[in-house]
Amino acid sequence: MTDAAITFASFGLAHRRAGCEEMLLHGVDLALPAHGFYAFVGASGGGKSSVLRLLAGLVEPREAAPRVDGDLVVLGQSFAAGFPPALRGDVAAILQDEGLLDERSPRANVELALRLADRSPLLAAGLLAQVGLEHAPDEIARLSGGMRKRLAVARALASSPRLLLCDEPTAGLDPSGARAIAALLRDAHDQDPRRTTLVITHDLPAFAGRLDGALVLDRARRTLRLEGPGYEPTSADTAPPPGAGASEASETLHGLRTLLSQAAAFSESLLEAIRRLPPLELGEVARATWRACVEPAPFVALGGGVLGGLATFFALKNNPLHGGMESALLTGTGKVALAVLVPLLAGFFFCARVVAGAAARLGAMKRTNQIAALQMMGAQPANLLLTPLVWSMAVGMPVLTVVACVAATFAGLLAAAAASGTPAGGFVHAWFAAITGRDAAVVLGKAALSGFLVAVACWHLGAGPKRSSADVGLAVDRAIVAGMAIVLTAHAVATFAEYS
Amino acid sequence: MHRLRYLLGLLTLLAAALGGLWLQRALRNLDEQPGVALQVEFREARGLRPGAIVRHRGVAVGVVRAVALSPDGDKAVVQVLIEPAAAAHACVGSAFWIVTPRFGGLADGLSGLDTLVRDAYVAFATPSPRGSPLPPGSLITGRERPPTDSESLEPASHGDLLMTLLVPENHGLRPGSPVVHRGVATGDVRSVALAADGSHVEVALRIAREHRATVTDKAVFWIARPQLSGALLSGFTVQDAASLLSPFVGYHVEPGAGVLVPDGHRAAAAANRPDFELAPVPASAVKSAPAVAKPATGNDGVVVVRVVYAAVEKDTFSPDDDIRRAGSGLLYVDRSGRAVVITARSLVDASYTEPDGYGEPEIADEQIKVVLPGGAVLRAGRVWVDPDASDLAALVLDGAPPDLVGTAADRLAFADDLVSPQAPGIVRRVGPDGTPLAPVAIGNTALQPEALGAVFIGDGKARAVVVAADRAAVTDGAASLVNVVWLHRVPAELRPQGL
Repeated sequence: MTDAAITFASFGLAHRRAGCEEMLLHGVDLALPAHGFYAFVGASGGGKSSVLRLLAGLVEPREAAPRVDGDLVVLGQSFAAGFPPALRGDVAAILQDEGLLDERSPRANVELALRLADRSPLLAAGLLAQVGLEHAPDEIARLSGGMRKRLAVARALASSPRLLLCDEPTAGLDPSGARAIAALLRDAHDQDPRRTTLVITHDLPAFAGRLDGALVLDRARRTLRLEGPGYEPTSADTAPPPGAGASEASETLHGLRTLLSQAAAFSESLLEAIRRLPPLELGEVARATWRACVEPAPFVALGGGVLGGLATFFALKNNPLHGGMESALLTGTGKVALAVLVPLLAGFFFCARVVAGAAARLGAMKRTNQIAALQMMGAQPANLLLTPLVWSMAVGMPVLTVVACVAATFAGLLAAAAASGTPAGGFVHAWFAAITGRDAAVVLGKAALSGFLVAVACWHLGAGPKRSSADVGLAVDRAIVAGMAIVLTAHAVATFAEYS
Repeated sequence: MHRLRYLLGLLTLLAAALGGLWLQRALRNLDEQPGVALQVEFREARGLRPGAIVRHRGVAVGVVRAVALSPDGDKAVVQVLIEPAAAAHACVGSAFWIVTPRFGGLADGLSGLDTLVRDAYVAFATPSPRGSPLPPGSLITGRERPPTDSESLEPASHGDLLMTLLVPENHGLRPGSPVVHRGVATGDVRSVALAADGSHVEVALRIAREHRATVTDKAVFWIARPQLSGALLSGFTVQDAASLLSPFVGYHVEPGAGVLVPDGHRAAAAANRPDFELAPVPASAVKSAPAVAKPATGNDGVVVVRVVYAAVEKDTFSPDDDIRRAGSGLLYVDRSGRAVVITARSLVDASYTEPDGYGEPEIADEQIKVVLPGGAVLRAGRVWVDPDASDLAALVLDGAPPDLVGTAADRLAFADDLVSPQAPGIVRRVGPDGTPLAPVAIGNTALQPEALGAVFIGDGKARAVVVAADRAAVTDGAASLVNVVWLHRVPAELRPQGL
């Protein structure tokens, strides 16, 4: 096995879709010799990317997994029980969307990859120089298409992988740019004699003279074959796939699998959120919490103030009873406002602002393969993303509730003075008369609980499969609705349980 | 790997299903709040809505669940739910009525005015003594108007005269109607009921203790109705004009006529107000201030008081037992000025009499009251019991008046120079209101009821206290009481100076 990087033994691969299984590969027996630089060619939609994602361990856990038959051995590790964890540092993939973490600088991207591969971050400069990015801009957003590809190569090399997988590295580049990337990849390949490189491409001319062979996906026969370096695609190889690749499968079974997968994903999100509570990246957690508390504070305070002020004003104005009745009215208004209405409103505002933002950010990261990239670097995306999310929301929600209550009190004070000339002392006395320590504990408790649950929902929806930008938008929509529903339910249940 | 995920999915669905089931049950339980559901029928349920409150003694103890017509349409059926804590107060015989604004005539005035600004509500009252609690689902016939509230009558207190007046016809008397003597209310009507054979009406009366002495067997009772008498020329006199608003029972007795009546006295009322001339105020009343009632000391200077004892014996395996005992005791003032009562220990110490088959009996809520001859009731505490386990105990009165008159020291004999119990002597006891009963000889078996602690007087001096011959038998009420404990067991510090 030492001379084969990838061995397929009676290997079969099929997509599971509603009502049928779409057969991609069937009975493949092939050994890809180690240390070679191969192109991976075949008609579009033939399953090249699926094979690559399978090799990189990027199977989407929230969807019905592709059916795999036979055995697949990569670098001596069998895939019989899923992606072998021992391979994590040895396989790197450059995906079509490069998955660059766009909140970090290009250099920080490489440094993170180095750190996660247990190598010195000081090597980043060398890697950037190697791909010609010594003078790159500081922001990912300002990188050109070619620069992004180069940076992705540099980041992939950070872990000095033994198997480097690339998905269309030259797509969208002009011929000279494509050739430059091809040269870069070949150079990187030659640097490490142990390395095997497999590049999915439709642009064989760019790689002309640089290949050790071509892995051809024969769509018609649903098999793989290895060709020599001088391979030219035939019309049969590039022909669109035949339609009859589907075999019947029980629709009920598929539905059941999908249902179970989705239910499992829901539980996994919850379990993960609980498991990730201990913060590893303290700085990240603190920053996220601070952002979640401070940024929406003025907005939430305004909302709380309007609610408290209006409630007080109309309570006093619509009940023109003077004397002891005013303080009685204020006592009731204060309790209802501070214990029920303002916390609820703060929760809604929180969902509209923080939850929507977080879901959009997560969804975009998922959509642009940033989460997949983190996964390939050996990082636990949940550690980097979910822990700060949970903390920021479980802390941010109570903090914002307090902010809203304080604002409501001040607005109530002004409204009471305006409506019936209530002095400040009398107002505060009446407003807080019915509020006990237990009320405060209940309010903070339900805010923290709904914050936690909203974070779970946000993660679940944001980090779910994203095939398009529409999926991201849908996830944001759902995060807001689910967040508000959670806030409403948590408040209703807690309030009912406490005060009924 | 994926099998595990499917398993996790299955577990999630299972948990969701269980959670849903639990929530559904919780919601159903929420609907079926604990409590006793009752149905009350009214002729009409005007103003009553679901959610209205049910009150008992003004306290919200339940809620109206539904208001519906009876199947035959003749009644309105109100479903009420009484909270568990208050369910025991809704008993057989409880009266349910709907509280709405109501004009009860000149005497009763307006009631239910709170429902002018609030919703109507259901109220119920439970007569005392109460019946057994209503079982859930009971169908009760509600009243159309509030019951004439015997509930609001102040309870008869100790020493009040409780008697029955038989009248040919009830002219509007109700529980709470006053009983009037010389224009002063001396008591009230407790209940009005038709005699079993329908021949007359029985009116239960309470005369307050301080007016007891105004009722003798010569007293004439009548139901007051306004009466006009006189002639055109001499002018008219309206008698009992106050009865225009509210009828009352009047009575008259010539001063000094007749003897006082005991509780349970029955008297027939005159059909009309008897014609009598009120005597002028006696001259003696003008001369001297009314005599202060002196404590009745009996004719021998020995002060015997009534001792009442109450306690609860806590049982592990059976309901707690209430212990109620009453008897007598010897009152005197000891050397340090305390009012001391010497009595039988079996009267005032349940731990002495209760069987202790399972270890020490647990006695709780002990209360000892002493009724002085003047009628005052004082609390007393046990300060001493005979260490030799003879049936003797000493009490000290709490808050005794400074001018308390006890047995004079020369009427007490703590010495050992005993006379034989068979020696000539008498036993002195007191009745329920603290007044002395006629002395009896010690061998008299009629002595038995409530004679614990009665004082044996021999040779003119109080010498001993009547106790139970068998202390365990006190519990059963079958004690043979003709045994005495001599006073020489009382320690010196509880005796008067020099004795």
